[in-house]
Amino acid sequence: MTDKEVDQQLVERVQRGDKHAFDLLVAKYQRKLGRLISRFVRDSAEAEDVTQEAFIKAYRALPGFRGESAFYTWLYRIGINTAKNHLLSNKRRAPTSTPFDVDEAESFEDAGLLREVSTPENELMSKQVVDVVQASLQQLPEDLRSALMLREIEGLSYEEIASVMNCPVGTVRSRIFRAREAVAENLRPLLETSKGNRW
Amino acid sequence: MKQEISALMDGELFEDEVGYFLDRLKQDPAARKNWAAYHLIGDVLRQPEHIHCDLSAKVRERMHDEPTVFAPRRHAAKQKLRAFALSAAASLSAIGVVAWMSLQIGPEAAPQLAMQQNAMRPVNAHIQGKTNDYLRAHQEFSPGTNMSGSAYFIRTVFMVQTKFK
Repeated sequence: MTDKEVDQQLVERVQRGDKHAFDLLVAKYQRKLGRLISRFVRDSAEAEDVTQEAFIKAYRALPGFRGESAFYTWLYRIGINTAKNHLLSNKRRAPTSTPFDVDEAESFEDAGLLREVSTPENELMSKQVVDVVQASLQQLPEDLRSALMLREIEGLSYEEIASVMNCPVGTVRSRIFRAREAVAENLRPLLETSKGNRW
Repeated sequence: MKQEISALMDGELFEDEVGYFLDRLKQDPAARKNWAAYHLIGDVLRQPEHIHCDLSAKVRERMHDEPTVFAPRRHAAKQKLRAFALSAAASLSAIGVVAWMSLQIGPEAAPQLAMQQNAMRPVNAHIQGKTNDYLRAHQEFSPGTNMSGSAYFIRTVFMVQTKFK
């Protein structure tokens, strides 16, 4: 079952009244959506509020979601509309220097235009998380690191990674899991102790 | 469980496993934390310059005030529609077959068919001894051979049964 099909299963669970399923979608897409919204709303605190608002709007609109597009494409449209409405309500215009086509939502990966106005506290926390992840990655055995990078950066399927690394699919699955778990193990103390458990 | 969460988020579980592990995630807060942590790791690897704090708790808090959403079950409606379509198609096929057969027989064949039916009854009633041999010998000239194959066999079986009586 593909990633999009798993999303669809989660959506159907939310449509049957399962709020935990929506939690899983928030955990998965919050940073992508936040990144998108911060193209319109430059202030980080405002962008955070707008992102939350977009998720709530998505939750309310979910009964009408028919699965004709991928869930995240639909979610991103809601995100863009919420951001634009936010700017309109504050009598500001969406930045013209970052023209955005809704169809780009699926491939949006450009962070070069981002100019987030972060608080020092947020910046520090972000930096710590990034440092821990990168340091943990460096400590991993080469085969685990490669498997994780091929999955997360290149977006390859397990079968494709198995072909690249010349090993069985089951080994790929195990390597990716072990890599994630090793990094998460180092990350957990930080996530648990962060102020207000905000990670 | 953790390994399955890892495979689930990559879309690499089999369809029949997905439902089971989504149920587990629903019931197990620790499993949901792992789901969140694994996604955070992926986001850091892809976009290290744009990692913001976790919004899940805030969204969850706001969702407490939201009424639970329910959508009409599209699967049930789909299944009903499919069952209706199948039964309609079966009925139409049956009507079609009957109509085709009646066209094949045609109006000119009707008296012949009536004759066959009339002829079959007395023959069946009087098949005995020598008559059976006669009928077997002249079977190819029997009007029954004009009918479709099944009628031919029905008649033959009947003859055998009467012979053993």
